[in-house]
Formats: sequence, structure tokens, C-alpha cells
Amino acid sequence: MAPAKAPAGHFSILYFAAASTFTGKTGEHLPAPVRARGLFALLEERYPGIKDKVLSSCALTVNLEYVDVGEDDAEDADRQIGEGDEVAIIPPVSSG
Amino acid sequence: MAAVISSLRKQISTCEATLEDLRHQLAEAERIQRQQQKSVPQKRPLATDPASPLDHDMNFGVPDDFRSEIFAVLKQEAKAVEGTESEEPSRWPLEKNEYKRYGRQLIMPEVGLQGQLRLKKARILVVGVGGLGCPAAAYLVGAGVGTLGLVDDDVVEESNLHRQILHSTARVGMTKVQSAMVALNSLNPNVKLLPHISRLTPDTAISTFKDYDLVLDCTDTPTSRYLISDTCVLLRKTLVSASALRIDGQLMVLNNPPSPPGDTTGGPCYRCVFPKPPPPESVVSCGDGGILGPVVGVMGILQALEAIKVLTQTPAASSVDPPSLILFSAYSNPMFRSVRLRNRKAKCAACSAHATVTPEALESGSLDYVQFCGSVVSNNDALLPDERISAQNYAHIRSGVNPFTGTVSSKDSHILVDVREKVQFELCNIDGSVNVPFSTVSNMQGDENDWVTQLRKSEKPIFVVCRLGNDSQVVVKKMKQLGLDAGGKRYIGDIRGGLRAWRQSVDVEFPEY
Repeated sequence: MAPAKAPAGHFSILYFAAASTFTGKTGEHLPAPVRARGLFALLEERYPGIKDKVLSSCALTVNLEYVDVGEDDAEDADRQIGEGDEVAIIPPVSSG
Repeated sequence: MAAVISSLRKQISTCEATLEDLRHQLAEAERIQRQQQKSVPQKRPLATDPASPLDHDMNFGVPDDFRSEIFAVLKQEAKAVEGTESEEPSRWPLEKNEYKRYGRQLIMPEVGLQGQLRLKKARILVVGVGGLGCPAAAYLVGAGVGTLGLVDDDVVEESNLHRQILHSTARVGMTKVQSAMVALNSLNPNVKLLPHISRLTPDTAISTFKDYDLVLDCTDTPTSRYLISDTCVLLRKTLVSASALRIDGQLMVLNNPPSPPGDTTGGPCYRCVFPKPPPPESVVSCGDGGILGPVVGVMGILQALEAIKVLTQTPAASSVDPPSLILFSAYSNPMFRSVRLRNRKAKCAACSAHATVTPEALESGSLDYVQFCGSVVSNNDALLPDERISAQNYAHIRSGVNPFTGTVSSKDSHILVDVREKVQFELCNIDGSVNVPFSTVSNMQGDENDWVTQLRKSEKPIFVVCRLGNDSQVVVKKMKQLGLDAGGKRYIGDIRGGLRAWRQSVDVEFPEY
């Protein structure tokens, strides 16, 4: 688990379920700011294959709030992720 | 051979013990039946008052043996109060035993008498009677809901028992619905249980759901999650959805309030939160990925809790909790996170004004959930026949004669690579095998890795084995891509059917997990 507080100029990102399996981490700190819509491309660069295998079906939250960046005209496409924000990548879990 | 003989002896004695046990159970059941038949003539007439919920439940919701037990008790009580007026309408809204049974929750302001009466009136459907459904159903039946429906077509297996707490060792092989009904009945005979021993499909979903007030999604596949959510939106039922895998769980109360599709005051549905299904090859079942019992237990219990909260709220209460997604991570700190969700999505395929999910589309089969969620292309034939070897032939290679070349060999004549994950490899493995986890192979960047270097040092043939014979084929292909087969000079192949086949046809002692 990444330490609760991100260092200056960074945001925290948490990986749940399949995202955690894919990255091998539960979380980390990445440099801020990032455009919400650009986050998936950034992660794809770090973890090749993650976009198709995991991110395409994930929910994304910023500071515990659901953010919709699914399509170009999505509500939060232009939202910025800033220093100190906490982002979570939440893949659907379907087992039970 | 000695091992085989001793194993067979063991199996026979186990079967004999089981048989003996079944004979006892049969004798007992026959004895009870005889007793009941004797007592039939003394039974009180049925349905003395159709309006009385107790009479109704007594006549239709309680199994015979239990009914006779209750009548025996009632008879004694009736004797005791003989002479007093018994036809008087009940003074109290709940039965005497209910005050006692539900007393601990009745005295809470969150429930109270009105809440208990709402629970008693409620009809709840639990879809899936596994790791989530068992604890959820147990707590709802314990809390005294009026009617509980159970949907599942599966049978109880030994590997279910560490988490599916309604089932038992003796009921392995029974359908999960019947097994759960035995347990739930003994927990609280006041609750009417309705079995639906079938798999939920688009053409049965509406007719199955329509008579219930609230639905719990306790299933384990993406297809069922979308189907259940869509049906709840169409029928305007609130849905409590949960899931769990390994050490993670998720919980949402969806379609709450259950306004009609297109009404933006309604709560979001499953498609609003997860509009795209996960890619099929990334979907992992508890059988493959593993699951910790208390993790799925926690999620099932939270479902029961949310259901009780929804059912007991006063109809006038305008303040429905804003929609949220609860994330549970057993090994993180904090273990729980609550994420605020949006309202209904403006373009949702199910609950928006632009919905394409309609009752007609659902029942006609034009909504193809299997296609929507995709299915894993079976890679049973990823390799050519001569790249594969049966477990039996592989056993010959280890013990003496190579069926292809006729040469004598041993377990040192080749390299056996086991591509299961390390934890599984450590559980049990074939003597002399080396472990190269599948995740290491599939996540490797570039062309050189420790395991590749190690395998390049030798020219011995390579056999690859995994649990069931799928991953092994992928790895054989990868090894050839990496040139480990020296341009075809070195044999690389997999063991067809993996360790399961090995156990079935060579080594019956090899553990099954």
C-alpha cells in the first residue's frame, strides 16, 4: 500500500482487484497534474496491456468520488487530477 | 502399485462407510414417515383462518415433521387454556413467539414494531446460494422476512464448504437450494421459502422476479450481473449487489429508489457504474483465483444488512442514502472504502430515457448477455497433436520406455516445467518438476528472463504441465517463440489435461484441490 500522503507534486493511485493483480501493487504515487482522460494512457505506458485487459471496464474515482471519463464527451473528460488527490482504479469483481 | 492398491482399499472403505451412513439416514427417515402417517388423523384441520399469517405459514410454509412438532406443543398449550375464549382476534400484531425471537432487534429504534412488520411482509429473492447467498439468506431468515426465494441450479461440492455456511458435509451432492432450505428451515421455521432450482436466463428472469420486493445478486459471472440488474430496472425492484474474489469485495445498493427507466430521480443501475463488461479472459472464478471464506462472508452479511435497511425504512422517508460503492480489501488499511457514485447515467442502456433494454428485448432473446460479455475462446487445440502427450504416455517416459522413440529414459531424461503459480506448486507437484509460474511467463518484458536462460543451458526435451492443460499450451507456444526449441531440434510439448489427467490416469494419490 502506498503511504497515505503523496509527496509534493504527486497524487496517490490505488489499485483494486484485477488492477492490483496486473500491476503487482496495491498503490503508488505518480506525478501530478494529469488530465483524468489521459490517465489510462499514462498507465498503459507503465504497464503495457493494462488498458485492454483491465482499465477498459474499470470504474475510476478521484477522492472517493466516481468520475466518468468513458467517452470523449463524458462528464469528467477534462477534469484534472491534482497534487495530493487520491485516485482509485476499480475493476468490476463478478465472482461470489 | 502398492500405493494404488492401498488407495483403492481406502476408497472402498470410505464408500462403505458412506453407504452405512445413508442406510441409517434412510431408516431414520422411514421411521419418521411412519410416525407422521400415524399422527395424520389427529392433525388439526388446515386453514382455520386464511387471513392469519401463522395459519398460512403453518399450512404451506413448514415441512411436515416440523409441523407435527409444533402441533404437539400447541395441543399442550390449548389444554392449559381450555375454557378461555380462543376465537378472539389477536391482541398483538406479532405472534407471541415472534416478540421473543426478534426481541433484540425489535427494541432498536432502527427496526421497532413497524420495521418488523415490514420485514414480515417482505418477499426477497436471493439469486445464487453460494458464498454470498448463504450468509445473506441466513441473516435475512434470522431477521424474520416473510418470504425468501432461492435461485440456483448448482449442487453442493466439498470445495464449497469452507465458505458456503448453509451447506454441510452430509449434503454434498444435494442441490444448493434444497440444502440451504434444510438449514434455513431449522434456523427459523416462520419464514416461507420458495425454491427455484434452475439457472436464471433472460426468458425466465422476469417471471422469476416479478413477485418479489427486493433482489440480492449473489451470483458469480458478469452475464448474470447484467441480466439481474436489467430485470430489476424493468420491474422496478431495488437490487443489493455484492461480489468477492480472493481478498477483495464490492457492495452496491442499486436502483434505489426504483423509479421507472428514464426517471432521473431513481438510483443508478449496474450498467451506470460498469457500462462495459470485463474482458472475458480477465474474469477469474473463485475456483481459479481462490477466495478467503470470511471475505465473501463479510460481503454476504453486508448484503443482508443493506436489504434490512431498505426494507425497514419508513415509506415516507424521502432521504434515501446517496448511492455508494463499498470496497472491501481484507489486507489493506483501511479495510473499507466507500466511494460516492453518480446518479443514473444520461446514456445508460438500461435505466435512462435512451434505454435499449426492454421487457420485449429481454424475453425475445435479442439481448444476448453471453455475446455482450464475450466468452473465452477455448484453447483446447492451441497446439498440434504431436506437441501434446497424454499423462499416461508421459508416465511411461518417466519410468522407462519412450512411446515415440522406444528408448529407455527416466525422469532425468527431460525437463518437466510446472507453470502453476508458486503457491499451488508448493501444495503438490510431480517429483523433479521445476516451477515457472504462468504469471512470470505472461508478464515478462523483452525476450530474456532467468527462467529462459536456465532452460537454454540444456538441450533436454521440455514437457510443460499445469492444473488443467490450458496454460501449459500457451507456455509451449511462448517457449517456441523464444527459440527454446532450437529451430525444431529440441522437443517441447505439454501434458494434455494437466495434473487433473495425471491424477485420473496415473497417480490417484495426487491431491485434488
